Amino acid sequence: MTSLALAWRTAQRYRARTVLAIIGVAVIGALLFDMLMLSRGLLLSFADLLSSAGFDVRVVGSLSVPSLRLPITGSTSLADDIRRLPEVERVALIRLESATVRIAGGPLRNITLVGTTDVGEDAWTLVKGVNLKSAGAQADRCALVIAQPLASALAIGPDARLTLNARPPGVVSVLPPMDCRVVGIAEFAFASTDDETAATTMDAFQEAIGQPGAADADLVLVASRQEAGPTATAQAIAKLRPDLRVFSNEDVVAQFNRNGFAYFQQISFVLSSLTMVFAFLLVATLLTVSINQRLGEIAALRALGIGRGRIAAMLLWESALLVGTGGLLALPLGAALSVGLDRILRQMPGLPERLHFFVFEPRALVIHIVLLLFTAVAAAAYPIWLTARLPIAATLRREVVG
Amino acid sequence: MAPSAIVEARDVSRIFPMAAGPVAALRHVSLEVAAGEYVAITGPSGCGKSTLLHLVGCVDTPTSGSVRFDQRDIASLSEAERSRVRLTRIGFVFQRFFLLPMLTAAENVELPQAEAGAGKAVRRERTRELLAYVGLENRADHLPSQLSGGEMQRVAIARALANRPVLLVADEPTGELDEDTGEHIANLFDRVHANGTAILVVTHNPVVAARASRRVAMKSGRLVE
Repeated sequence: MTSLALAWRTAQRYRARTVLAIIGVAVIGALLFDMLMLSRGLLLSFADLLSSAGFDVRVVGSLSVPSLRLPITGSTSLADDIRRLPEVERVALIRLESATVRIAGGPLRNITLVGTTDVGEDAWTLVKGVNLKSAGAQADRCALVIAQPLASALAIGPDARLTLNARPPGVVSVLPPMDCRVVGIAEFAFASTDDETAATTMDAFQEAIGQPGAADADLVLVASRQEAGPTATAQAIAKLRPDLRVFSNEDVVAQFNRNGFAYFQQISFVLSSLTMVFAFLLVATLLTVSINQRLGEIAALRALGIGRGRIAAMLLWESALLVGTGGLLALPLGAALSVGLDRILRQMPGLPERLHFFVFEPRALVIHIVLLLFTAVAAAAYPIWLTARLPIAATLRREVVG
Repeated sequence: MAPSAIVEARDVSRIFPMAAGPVAALRHVSLEVAAGEYVAITGPSGCGKSTLLHLVGCVDTPTSGSVRFDQRDIASLSEAERSRVRLTRIGFVFQRFFLLPMLTAAENVELPQAEAGAGKAVRRERTRELLAYVGLENRADHLPSQLSGGEMQRVAIARALANRPVLLVADEPTGELDEDTGEHIANLFDRVHANGTAILVVTHNPVVAARASRRVAMKSGRLVE
């Protein structure tokens, strides 16, 4: 009979202890799994969000910061220069501005107006209507794709007409309103659930802000050719315009990792460590109590010549069975828990709708398994030590006297 | 040491360090068990019978004096070597049986054989033979919790004989059993002895002691033959 078989039989024999230990490890393991998914979830989700737009390099003005983007001087000619680079597949100009919209007879609503030359619409997913590049939309002087929250707030759908007024910050706007047609309703990748955004072509945008054909973009998005890659493309653009700041998506993610997401990793590290300690204490306590109840049995086995190695292996397997089974159950439990926790955390205002806090990656699973294996071995260490140094004769004597 | 002696304890003392001061459980005791011999140790509780049995059974080492098993000083052996001696040369029977509760009778008997490296088929055959020997062939698949006290002790005896030991040591083997069942166990010991296995038994049971070819009495850690 192998040590594993002995451990299995012991687990079956002490069923209540086994079930309690497995449930305990499953709950603790679920928390551990969630902490592992949380530690890099936001970062992975953010990276996924960036790449979902279909561009892997971003160009901003030298003075721009994430929350304040300044126009890039000569962005149209810059876009042409970038397009000519052999590393580049595609270029889009983006400009954001505050604006108001109103449907006939309705109140004004503040929105974020997005002007883009990229009418490939990777940055949003159309829910209703058509996109800006469709023939019907291109015939309009001002076609809009609006975010779902805005459509809901205005209670409008495709083909609705509204007036648009751009309101650049710090400027008293006297711009005339533009008559626009809603051609589509979409989910914007970077928009939050309550964000009221509308996108239009760069031409319509420039007209709306009173600079037809002349307004600069505040962001240039570049898709690199696969053979060149984002790093080489970013370097080529930086040579072209050393006065600008050029980032690959990896750079942006790395920067956010250093600045914005370090808290999550620290919290996750602390909570993961605590959950591991709890798992260790739970299993070590149960095994130690179990061993103390079986000291006579173990001393008798040793007296019969059963080696320390086999008894140690049996305990190790017992621990591995408890932690392994609990750890396996922890995966679906943790996954279900993460869905609920993610839903709660995503209720924070201003978060992009497609951003998630808990993201599964194979790395999290591997770390989960390694940490639980370590916990199983560590939890078995003390009971193994107890049995290894067990004085056989004294224990047998005590058992009989007791 | 006589050539036929399996184990010889010479002038052994065993002192246990206790909080209130050292306690001498054995004082200068000498005992020899020859091959095929049946020795019973008797005496009042706490006189050192079990301590002597544990020394002779290689589960403990003396504070002074020497115990030689198969002409080897057990104090000079490593724990792993002593464990091997116990596994292959000695069979243990305990007052409280100490069968593994999660294993069937047959599996309990197989366990020491597996540890000794016997193949599966050999183990099965030997186990079947031993359970038949102790009259429990129809109880092979029963758990200890499904057996009576006498049956559990018979399984324990079968387990002790599993690796064909030269010496069977038994510590109060009838201590947990009623008179009739104790007599059955004594009969079984007679058969084991008749088959050539030496037996050293610690007992309060006069029936068991009477079956021995030699009786040794102890008092206050000394032999009083």
